[in-house]
Amino acid sequence: MIADIGFYIVALAILLGGIWAVTAKNILHAAMALIASFFGTAILYLMLSAEFIAIAQVLVYIGGVVIFVIFTILLTTRLGDKAEIAPGMRKLLALALSGVLLGTFLHALDRAGVLVGVKAPVADPNFASIRAVGLRFLDPGTNGFLVPFEIISLLLLISVIGAIVIARKEEV
Amino acid sequence: MTLGYCLALAFGLFAIGSYGVMTRRHIVGMLISVELMLNAANINFVAFAHFRPGDNTAGPIFTAFVIAVAACEMAVALAIVVSMFRRHKNLDIDNLRDLHG
Repeated sequence: MIADIGFYIVALAILLGGIWAVTAKNILHAAMALIASFFGTAILYLMLSAEFIAIAQVLVYIGGVVIFVIFTILLTTRLGDKAEIAPGMRKLLALALSGVLLGTFLHALDRAGVLVGVKAPVADPNFASIRAVGLRFLDPGTNGFLVPFEIISLLLLISVIGAIVIARKEEV
Repeated sequence: MTLGYCLALAFGLFAIGSYGVMTRRHIVGMLISVELMLNAANINFVAFAHFRPGDNTAGPIFTAFVIAVAACEMAVALAIVVSMFRRHKNLDIDNLRDLHG
C-alpha cells in the first residue's frame, strides 16, 4: 500500500517533469524539468529493485547528459531567448497525434490484461544488484555480455573523438 | 504497483516525448524530448525484468546499454548543435536547411 502511494507520487513527478520539459518557454527551464523527470525515474528504478540502473541513471543522465545539455544551451543561446515553439495549428496536430499514439498503446495494454496484471514480482529481488549485473557484464560465456561491454566502450571513445572533431573551430 | 501501471507510465512519458519532438523548433528542445522517449523505453525494460519470469538480469543490462548509447548520441548531437550555431547563429530548425539537398 505504501509502495503504491509512493509509485503514484513518483509517476506524477515523472510525468509532470516530462510535460514541463516539452512545454517550457525557456529552454533552460526545460533542461531543469528534465532533471526532475530523470530523478523520479531513478527512484522508480530503486522501487523496481534495479539499483545499478538507478545509480547509472543519476550518474550518467543527471550528472552527465543534462549538464552537457545545459552547457550547450548556455553556449548557444543569448540570455532571454525564448525557445521557439511551433504555432498553434501545428501544436494542436502534434497533440492529436501523440494522443492517438498514447491511445493505441493503452488499448494494446488493455487487451493484454492477463500479461500485465502481475502484482508480485517473480524475480529474485537481487536480480539487478550491482554484483549480479557486474558478474553478468564480465561473464565471457555465451550467457554473458563481455563482447558488447567492450564494444560499447569503443563506441564511447569513437563518439567522444567525433564530438571533438565536429565541434572544434575550423581554422585549427 | 503492477506491471500494467509501470507500462502505462512509460507509454505516457513516450507520448509526451513524441509531442515534444513534434512541437519544438529549437534543436536542443528536440533532443530533450528524445531523451524523454529513451527514458520511457528504459522504464519498460526494467519493469518487465522486475515483474516477468525469465532472464531477469538481462533487462537492466540492456538498459545500461541504452543509457551508454544515449550518452554517445547526446555527445555527437550537441557537438553538431554547437557547430551549427557557429555557422548560422540560430538554432530554429525551420531555418536550418543544410540537409535539404
